[in-house]
Amino acid sequence: MSSRLPPVTGEWIDRSRGLDFTFDGKAYRGWVGDTPASALWAAGVHVLGRSFKYHRPRGVLSMANHDVNTMMQTGARLNLRADVEPLEAAMALTSVNTAGGASGDRLRFLNALGGFLPVGFYYKAFHRPKALFPFWERVFRRMTGLGTLDFNAPHIRTPKRYDFCDVLVVGAGPSGLHAALAAGRAGAKVVLVDENARIGGSLGYQRGGSVEGLEMLRDLERDLAELPNVSVRAATLAAGYYADHWIPLVDAKRMTKLRARAVICAGGVFEQPAVFRNNDVPGVMLASAAQRLLYRYAVKPMDKAVVLTANADGYRAALDLMAHGVAIAAVADLRAEGEPSALTMRVKQVGIPVLKGHCVLEAEAVDDRLVAATLCPVSAEGRPDTASPQKFACDGLLMSVGWAPAAALLYQAGASMRYDAGVHQFVPERLPEGVFACGRVNGVYTLDSKCEDGERAGTEAARLLGFDVPARNFSVAAERVAPSHPWPIVDHPAGKNFVDFDEDLHLRDFHNAAQEGFDNIELLKRYTTVGMGPSQGKHSNMNAIRILARIRGKSPGEVGTTTARPFFHPVPMSHLAGRGFNVHRETPLHGRHDGLGAVWMQAGVWLRPEYYGQPGKRKADIVREEARAVRESVGIIDVGTLGKMELYGPDAGAFLERVYTAKFAGMKPGTTRYAVMLDESGVVIDDGVVARLADQHFYFTTTTTGSTTVYRELQRWNAQWNLEVGIVNATGAFAAMNLAGPKARAVLRKLTTLDLSNEAFPYLALREADVAGVPARLMRVGFVGELGYEIHVPADRAGHLWDALMDAGGEYAIRPFGVEAQRLLRLEKGHIIIGQDTDGLTQPDEAGLEWAVKMDKAFFVGQRSVDIVRKRGPRQKLVGFELDAIGASTAPRECHLVVRNGAIAGRVTSIAWSDTLGKHVGLAFVAPDMTEVGSPFFIRADGGTMVQARVVPTPFYDAEGLRQKVVD
Amino acid sequence: MKILTCPVNGPRPVSEFAYGGEVRPMPDGATCSDREWADYVFNRSGVPGVKIEWWYHIASGTWFHAERDTVTDRVIRTWLPG
Amino acid sequence: MANMRSSPLAHALATLHPEWIDVAGMPLAATLRDDHSGRSDKLGVCDLSGLPRVGVKGPGAAAWLAARGVPVPDQPNTWTLLEGGGVVARLARTEFLVEDGFGGRIAARLAPELKPGTTGVYPVPRQDCALALTGTVVNELLVQTCNVDFASQARDACIVTLTLMVGVSVTVLRQTFAGRDCWRLWCDGTSGPYLWETLTGIAAELGGGPVGLKSAFPDARFQNLQ
Repeated sequence: MSSRLPPVTGEWIDRSRGLDFTFDGKAYRGWVGDTPASALWAAGVHVLGRSFKYHRPRGVLSMANHDVNTMMQTGARLNLRADVEPLEAAMALTSVNTAGGASGDRLRFLNALGGFLPVGFYYKAFHRPKALFPFWERVFRRMTGLGTLDFNAPHIRTPKRYDFCDVLVVGAGPSGLHAALAAGRAGAKVVLVDENARIGGSLGYQRGGSVEGLEMLRDLERDLAELPNVSVRAATLAAGYYADHWIPLVDAKRMTKLRARAVICAGGVFEQPAVFRNNDVPGVMLASAAQRLLYRYAVKPMDKAVVLTANADGYRAALDLMAHGVAIAAVADLRAEGEPSALTMRVKQVGIPVLKGHCVLEAEAVDDRLVAATLCPVSAEGRPDTASPQKFACDGLLMSVGWAPAAALLYQAGASMRYDAGVHQFVPERLPEGVFACGRVNGVYTLDSKCEDGERAGTEAARLLGFDVPARNFSVAAERVAPSHPWPIVDHPAGKNFVDFDEDLHLRDFHNAAQEGFDNIELLKRYTTVGMGPSQGKHSNMNAIRILARIRGKSPGEVGTTTARPFFHPVPMSHLAGRGFNVHRETPLHGRHDGLGAVWMQAGVWLRPEYYGQPGKRKADIVREEARAVRESVGIIDVGTLGKMELYGPDAGAFLERVYTAKFAGMKPGTTRYAVMLDESGVVIDDGVVARLADQHFYFTTTTTGSTTVYRELQRWNAQWNLEVGIVNATGAFAAMNLAGPKARAVLRKLTTLDLSNEAFPYLALREADVAGVPARLMRVGFVGELGYEIHVPADRAGHLWDALMDAGGEYAIRPFGVEAQRLLRLEKGHIIIGQDTDGLTQPDEAGLEWAVKMDKAFFVGQRSVDIVRKRGPRQKLVGFELDAIGASTAPRECHLVVRNGAIAGRVTSIAWSDTLGKHVGLAFVAPDMTEVGSPFFIRADGGTMVQARVVPTPFYDAEGLRQKVVD
Repeated sequence: MKILTCPVNGPRPVSEFAYGGEVRPMPDGATCSDREWADYVFNRSGVPGVKIEWWYHIASGTWFHAERDTVTDRVIRTWLPG
Repeated sequence: MANMRSSPLAHALATLHPEWIDVAGMPLAATLRDDHSGRSDKLGVCDLSGLPRVGVKGPGAAAWLAARGVPVPDQPNTWTLLEGGGVVARLARTEFLVEDGFGGRIAARLAPELKPGTTGVYPVPRQDCALALTGTVVNELLVQTCNVDFASQARDACIVTLTLMVGVSVTVLRQTFAGRDCWRLWCDGTSGPYLWETLTGIAAELGGGPVGLKSAFPDARFQNLQ
């Protein structure tokens, strides 16, 4: 039995394009433009889902994105809102939260247990005995939840984009359209969005049996189309408001982060349900839902209807239904005085009985479908007079008792709202600069007034932004009759008077919550969970406020509202995730390493070769080979990730003395010096090598991870000191490689005319020379403990130099080595790595850097703190250690704890097996009284094994430093 | 997302900036007590109100001062120090 | 000295089957195998890293450039045209980027003159990844990668924008380069491969992609720089 109507003017469906789909396994057919709910309703399916808690049958409520009991799943797509999502071909829809489908849900027995499942019962009933709670938790998890996750869901990339406009208008109903038109005509770049598939808002469906609204819409669409500076975007949701008019716009494809200069909220209102017994049975729906079914989808919502109303909109809805063949059994008007406008006459003229001062006492269902409504008189306070109820047979019941503003964006923007008793609605009282509201969200309901209000908002926004529009007086008349009823609630003693359809909360739950002391709106919300379901209170918060206000004897304004957080509606996770970006930096030698089989590791933002992989070889063996090449012949490592700074100017030396602990003023050009940087609390934050190229020119390195922050802090210091210096972060501009090993000089000699003899170019000296034709800065360094040259060259010539060095090193079996081998080599030398062998509390004295701290200077950052800390003495000391057991299979690892008498006495910062030394060596923080050479201590390794270690002096290898200093 | 106005580069989204903490005068290390110095190093005022802060525009390397009301998150003005 | 230099993107470009052309000692892609005709009209991403470039900063930088006949932009974050199709970009207040076009020799001439030692005039080594973005849908690429409203920038204002693009500090300006309207982009060379990969990936989704010099700038004469 189809209830699809003959073509209706303005319908959204395309009858030339059919769509086959299934719901709970049965086949149906709809049209392009349908939603699953409209197509199913047209096919005579009225149970579209089950409620969350009691598994009651639910049908159409709003057709406006808050029918959360009819959320469906198709394939991997969860939480598909059947009332608004476009129907697609071959959808295999299933109802969620049911056992065996919506119509035969095996969990529907829960409805009969409703009396035993009051609000808060989870908290009370199942926490004792505690041991059983996990059992109950599993039961509930199976019985609740919405949809089934598909863990094989494809990874979908939905690129985000940015957008910019002068005026964003949210909501394309009559007021929003006028606002967009006014701002657009003023010359502003306007974006007009509406979450519905088509624009027009109430003009399209609240027709009252007339075509005037539709004609106005056509005119407005034509006017807007003439303005190239106005972009109209239907099916686009303004999902939230963030600081400075930053609005995420969500459409089917993506999220657009729009920056507007002004925002006009014309989002309208949500129609609110009446509360009475069984107000949730399929067939009971908001009046606007019936109108949407009629005019958008050409679906006859019911055959015979009762209309419960408290405003003019209910009368218009009755006329709309009549015009499409629906019989109206009765109109019950909650107001004793009825509807003052001419609408009453028009309804009466067509023979519909109008019962003033009447309410719906109860709805009645048979086989999950509404069959009758019982009406009775109601007092002004909302008390039903049950003496002589009248029962009307009907398969549809319209609720048209009031509205609540779609004001989430306004709240998020920081607007203050007040309760206006003239319209019985919260309306904006004070709006932040650049935020405007118009239309029904602003408490303006009469069509002419809405248009005027929209024009006002559009004009004011344009004027604020400096567009040349003449000032005008706008007169938006106050509503004479409130469109919302202050108490659309009838307390039926038998219950099932639902307030929140998401969470199956009924009226009694609110009284219980208030009795238990949760009588503040924020507490009430959290205890009852009202408004916390997927519709986020869009159909329940207003009634909850009215109920709480009455319980506490206050006005709704005094009770206040809660603020809906962004996002305003759920959006797909893929929209939020967007495109995956993997920000990283590569040295200019990246391609060379790739060609050599580099296994990459991340070092801060950098990619570095951890080692160079070889088929069939284990990492540990490769690392040992790489290290051995350095010890025995020659190796080369890319150290281009080091921070590299140029420092110029007459005050350059003075500047360095302030930021590093060492002295630099007396440094001669052509020399280098190790440098330690502290923060103001005296903690070691960075180290590097400072080279003096000329009197007013230094070049220095920072750690790989420190370059950005060190540069930033240096700039900040100089913004305060105003020394005559120029600091340039040349990290990316220079490539650097360390050529190290006994054969390093022999290799280098082939490529440069520079005198490399120990006398001409001693340890720690700096020279500038061409190497393989590339202008280079060479520093003799000893980080890995062998003769070594750190060669810095312009990045674009790094590849050329690398190739030349590899070529020249061929006869010595030169070996590129990675970070892992370097870590081992430097550990053998006892050289520390800032950030590995130090942490966020390490003072220089604790890390054995006393020698690098020159206190006899006027000032350096951290000096005063070092001074204070030295009076106290160190709390820990970094020492070298070796493991007693050779080749211990349970060797400790980095961060394992040093334990003494059952208490933590320190931790391992570095440890490695050294082939060269034939034992495990490492660095560890220990208590200051444990540092004596030879003294044993214990490290707690994996599985709690206690491993004995012994303090030994560092360097472990070549203690005199002969290999790096005097090699010929 | 908040807009911050860099005195050199103009209004930009706050994601282009790094926060540098409140602007606080460094006591004279030569004359202040250990306690005063420790207070400077370790303690920060959490009292809400109008504060002068350091901000850094990352792409251009510009440090500047911003006067900001930490209650309303409103930036009153920004300027280059010195 | 020929071909001693290599672009930060050399490794990435090498996978695209390029035909190389020498630009000031650096091989750049003249053509790419999959760069079909029309790609650069839709959305092309082209490597220009080889162009001669010089950087200088400090309170004396503007005067130093002016003394050498370089047209110095008088406002922070603006640029002027350099003879031969290059640009002089004023980065923030006291830093300058001078880059030659295909027909210029000014940056190349300044480079050796720029030595440390003059107070207030500090050389900034430039090893940029330099790109040109061409085509009709460039703006779509920009709005997917950067939170600055480039479309609303007045062309005659000659604006230089220092901003973040997909997390990378970049310098952006719009110019007619070698006869073609395009957006120019500079970033640190070490961030170049990531930026390139990201931009060309998005460009491909938008119907464009990486392009060679000959496709991006069909009217250009490259001989000057070889």
